[in-house]
Amino acid sequence: MTRIIFVCMLAVALISAQNTHYQPDANWRAPDEAAAKENPLAEKPELAAGGKKLFKRNCVECHGDSGQGLKKAADLQLPIVQNQSDGALFWKITNGNPDRGMPSFSGIPELQRWQLVLYLRKFKQIDTEKTQN
Amino acid sequence: MKSRILVFIFLFGITVILHAQEAPYFVTYDHHLEEPGNLEIATWTTIGIPRSGQNLFVAPFAEFEYGITGRWTTELYLEGQGTPGDSAVFTGWRLENRFRLLKREHWINPILYFEYEGINEATKILKEVVGNAEISSERNADLAAVHAHEIEAKLILSSNFHDWNLSENFIVEKNLSQAEGFEFGYALGVSRPLSKIASGNECHFCLENFNAGVELYGGLGSTNGFGFHQTAHYLAPVISWQVSDNSSFHFSPSFGLTNVSYPALLRFGYVYEIRGFGQKLARVFEGKP
Repeated sequence: MTRIIFVCMLAVALISAQNTHYQPDANWRAPDEAAAKENPLAEKPELAAGGKKLFKRNCVECHGDSGQGLKKAADLQLPIVQNQSDGALFWKITNGNPDRGMPSFSGIPELQRWQLVLYLRKFKQIDTEKTQN
Repeated sequence: MKSRILVFIFLFGITVILHAQEAPYFVTYDHHLEEPGNLEIATWTTIGIPRSGQNLFVAPFAEFEYGITGRWTTELYLEGQGTPGDSAVFTGWRLENRFRLLKREHWINPILYFEYEGINEATKILKEVVGNAEISSERNADLAAVHAHEIEAKLILSSNFHDWNLSENFIVEKNLSQAEGFEFGYALGVSRPLSKIASGNECHFCLENFNAGVELYGGLGSTNGFGFHQTAHYLAPVISWQVSDNSSFHFSPSFGLTNVSYPALLRFGYVYEIRGFGQKLARVFEGKP
């Protein structure tokens, strides 16, 4: 019984810590060719620091400091986001989803957008740690 | 008189503020719209360097840009003009709307632009150049007495290719107060950031905070006479500096290419972006913390 209560409390805590307003757009999918692209900076994890700075400048307003998602923006820690390929995340940053409020960031230089993808992967660790706790 | 002009510039300067990751253009528009819910406040100034016998002028304008949706941005402009030895006058207001036609990024991204201008003939901000050139030497008081209601449309085409932005604007303007026909103009811009990679440390003067390019803009006559005859054209290097996460400074010296252009224009502006302005305002009215 105690175990069930604990699991329920954990589930409530996880749900309340996340953005419940976010409704994924099933039609917002990267084309296969774009999704298959590999991050050219994958071997340079130190460049994620620059991605953090770019995230603060361009993304924090809607996605929150740790990518938890504010307003109607996606919780970037969720598996539904983190299970996407680097190429798919890059495509989504580049194109945006203007009808759902996500602007296009194609004005950011290409390599800097890949730096953002590097930094987004840091949120996967947060989600893993949250689940383990 | 100088003190009146200084006060005038100062009053406009108070509202000064500008944007982020935007092209450094002053006249040309690219396809990037304001983010939904964000308010951008900017002050821009155009200083006209005169030919002999003409007067230098200072034309500041304030800009309030709001992202209504991901595909619709609206802007309000308030403008003025001051001439040393003459006077400083309010020259009117403009309301513009830009609509993004396509949902995704393409090789060429079209934007439709519509603007209403409630201005007077003393306006010299040169936010765009259309029609045939007239460099007036009339006094501001006389010019400000002539009001004009104008509508303007632009087709904005813009492409991003390997960090370069290339934008082309085709402009048509109609003065509803006078039978001038339709006036035409163009603006072309190319720019790119000075660094491809963002450094990990906070810095104000890193290359990644600078964006540079060049603009070419001018008039193309009107339905009464289309072409380059008696038209002004300018070539302008442009540079922007991202001062902080939500503010930037822009500068451009423009050089007149024809004998009816101003010999040179100095333009500068400061932009500040208030993020989530719409949500903050909504909370105030809803009484939520």
